[in-house]
Amino acid sequence: MGNNAIECNNLTHYYGNKMVYENLNIHVKEGSILGLLGKNGTGKTTTINILNGFLQPRNGECLIYGENSQHLTPATKARIGFLIEGHIQYAFMNIHQIEKFYSGFYKRWDKEPYWELMSKLKVGKNQKISTMSCGQRSQVALGLILAQDPDLLILDDFSAGLDPGYRRLFIDYLREYAKTKRKTIFTTSHIIQDMERLIDDVLIMDYNRVLAQRNVHEFMRDFKQFYFEVEAPAINLSNEEFVANFEKIHNKIEIYTYESEKFVKGYLKKKGIAHTNFKKIEMGLEDAFIGLTGKY
Amino acid sequence: MWKSVAYKEWLKIRWFFILSTIFGVLAVGYIFLKVQYDFKFNDPNNYWYVLLFMKVKYFSILKFVPLIIGFAVSVTQYFPETVDKRIKLTFHLPINENKILLIMMLFGTACLLASSTLLTLIFYVLSTIYFPVDIIIPALISITPWLLSGFAIYYLVAFIILEPMWKYRLFYLVFASAIFPIFLESSIAGGFAPVNMSLAVLVIGLSISLLFSGYRFRKGEQ
Amino acid sequence: MVKLSRYFLVVIAVIGFAIVIPKFYWMAFEKPIRSPFIMWSCIDNDFMITRSGDGLKRTSRNLEKIGETLTREEYEQKLPFLYVRQLLMNGTMPDSINGVDIDTHDISQRRTTFRVRPKEIHSPLPTLYPLFESQSRRANLEMPKDFFRITWRMEFIDAESNKINEEKSRMFSAVLYKRGFKFPAKSINGLPTTRKSCDEGYLVIDSKDQLFHVKMIEAKPFVEKVKIPNGLKFKFIKCVDFNTKLFYAYLFSTDNHLYILTQYDYELIKFPIENINPELNEIKIYGDLFNFNIISVGVGFLKSDILDRDYKLVDQYSETWEVIDEQIEGKVAKFLFPAEIKMTNKKSDFIKFNVETNKPFNWLILSSILAIIHFIILKRGKDKLTKHVIDLGIIALTGIFGFIAVNIFPNKFYD
Repeated sequence: MGNNAIECNNLTHYYGNKMVYENLNIHVKEGSILGLLGKNGTGKTTTINILNGFLQPRNGECLIYGENSQHLTPATKARIGFLIEGHIQYAFMNIHQIEKFYSGFYKRWDKEPYWELMSKLKVGKNQKISTMSCGQRSQVALGLILAQDPDLLILDDFSAGLDPGYRRLFIDYLREYAKTKRKTIFTTSHIIQDMERLIDDVLIMDYNRVLAQRNVHEFMRDFKQFYFEVEAPAINLSNEEFVANFEKIHNKIEIYTYESEKFVKGYLKKKGIAHTNFKKIEMGLEDAFIGLTGKY
Repeated sequence: MWKSVAYKEWLKIRWFFILSTIFGVLAVGYIFLKVQYDFKFNDPNNYWYVLLFMKVKYFSILKFVPLIIGFAVSVTQYFPETVDKRIKLTFHLPINENKILLIMMLFGTACLLASSTLLTLIFYVLSTIYFPVDIIIPALISITPWLLSGFAIYYLVAFIILEPMWKYRLFYLVFASAIFPIFLESSIAGGFAPVNMSLAVLVIGLSISLLFSGYRFRKGEQ
Repeated sequence: MVKLSRYFLVVIAVIGFAIVIPKFYWMAFEKPIRSPFIMWSCIDNDFMITRSGDGLKRTSRNLEKIGETLTREEYEQKLPFLYVRQLLMNGTMPDSINGVDIDTHDISQRRTTFRVRPKEIHSPLPTLYPLFESQSRRANLEMPKDFFRITWRMEFIDAESNKINEEKSRMFSAVLYKRGFKFPAKSINGLPTTRKSCDEGYLVIDSKDQLFHVKMIEAKPFVEKVKIPNGLKFKFIKCVDFNTKLFYAYLFSTDNHLYILTQYDYELIKFPIENINPELNEIKIYGDLFNFNIISVGVGFLKSDILDRDYKLVDQYSETWEVIDEQIEGKVAKFLFPAEIKMTNKKSDFIKFNVETNKPFNWLILSSILAIIHFIILKRGKDKLTKHVIDLGIIALTGIFGFIAVNIFPNKFYD
């Protein structure tokens, strides 16, 4: 314990002149599950591509098990299971062919979990992956990763295109698998629903910056939403330091903050802001994510 | 590992490879169907005379056959890799990225070599029924650049398909159209004798060009 | 290895562009160069000259000096052997020329034309030839059923069966051997066609550069060894089928002399003229009642040697003209291209990389400019210059070709 499976230092990347991020640092401990959350275009896929060596960052480096991700040795690549966004696989193969193909590459190949998953799918023996549904394809891609028995799983937006049932299935299966076998998972998603069932740590990205990087339960505990109504609707608190986000519709106000209820009430009192109906709203991860990143 | 790569590559190309090779065999068959017809309706000595002194090539329909096979194999082998950027999966396999590209290239080359050998062998054996070596050797000399063109187009198409940027694909196409026509330069039988070795060297030089566009793909050029 | 693949690509692209770009350049800018047409007039004992270009101009060597031209009729009257039918039609054919009575039948019997181009020599030559029956007692020649080659022996291969006719092969080989023929043959020269007046077989050079006359008479071999001076080698022999039946062939020696081989007595006659080289120049030989006119046409020059019927030199004419390299288009090309590669060649049937490097080194100016442009672009990109030294060198050496090649394959590598 204590070793980092992934360590990204001072990662900086631009597309042309457009900055994606500057000096981003990410650490994923062995055995932990990190969710990289962000809206579209905040650099989730960029990060995944850098991690897999498909993109050369302008500055900084990512180390996976101590190796620069740009020059991973075959031995280290064998320890990484990689799920491409959209569950991309060799769609011209059927489930037998693809299992046969991958089994030739991995010493620890274990086809049991693969066939266990496949047995639940209603697919024909010679059905090509290209003709399967998105959910079925996700199961094939997951099955292959499980059979590979990697130490680190990098999952790029695994939930995209899955209906809720499959998404839940995928998450539960993955959590159980990772925790019993002490696997490390690095996953991105822009669908936040259900993610708290899976991840230990959360990294929330906004355009050009990181909004939060911490244990997901601590985050959920510390990050709060308060609701109140004011008499003078002209009020604007979005520039206050303790306010992470401020939403207002007429006289109804939502404040997102890491501060306590006592602090917020004290602040309102000190500033003499008259309010009614003050209450703390319970949030799920998705609410917290939106609260933090804003609706736009 | 080699077997697994060969297995995947074979799954991609098999139908087009087999069909285009059969097409090639049929083309060779047609040549000799025509030859035996001409032998019947023209005297064989007159037919020989025409081949020897009138600069007629009895095998000219073979010109584009290796090109078709090479093109078919290259497109079916490399195009599926670029759909949804699937080649990421290939690069993620626990092999050095250049090595796996080379294995893919060598597999395609071996397939082309197999079909070229087959076609040449059939062509040679059938030729010996009708013609003496004095006619067959210039024919083989003339066929050589055409066979090489099959390999050249295979390497060039792979190179172009794997390039991640459209702008550069276009540039590579310009490059390909500058170099490729020399394989198909028209000439009389045996006219390619001085240049065949150089063309073979050129083709070997082209064979590893997919490493370049593959590298650009890996480094996220876009 | 990836870097190596890029340099392979760059080198191959340089070759490709050195073929294509000059080709397009010449397609756009090349102007036709028309060489003059030279004939010998036995009337004036002068060279008749026809120049095309801005209209047709007919003149002669002597008239051109004083700037005079000839009308078509005047011109044709100076060349009675060339325009026999026209002069007969006009009624202007002289009764005698140089004291010789003119018989129009005789004129056409004595008139011979011959032409050989370098392409005929630089060509993949057949190794199989038909040996005709020289005394078939038929009016027309017939294509034999078999073809022969002369390798370690003389072999006849039957076309119908594609098998060697052993008996005939042994018979001919034995006679060749007895006459001192050293196998294999270096060259076999004849007129392999049925469309000739009669068959005179082949003139064959053996591996020791001896010359043999080989034909088939009544199905039997006829082999005659021709006496040739010591050390004389022929680079090209072309048999002729002239009505005069005076000689078998024009023979071109490796020291660029022209010979004829007379019929029956096998006398080798050397023409007293120099520098006749059919490997480089087009050679035309016109013969008539009085003269031989041997014309060599090459790049930017023409020469004509006139011999009488006793093979004595009568007169000579030569002229040169501006070649493409001296024209403005050619000079510009020398600035643009360090070299040009052509896969085909007007003087050869073979496909090969014909590399013509351009001298003087005017192209270095453009190459240097392009290298500097590339250097400036690199400076702006803030890339390390040490990574691009080879690229800059390639541009300096290969100019526009290298500049394009280096830039279409981006030199972008991460270490």
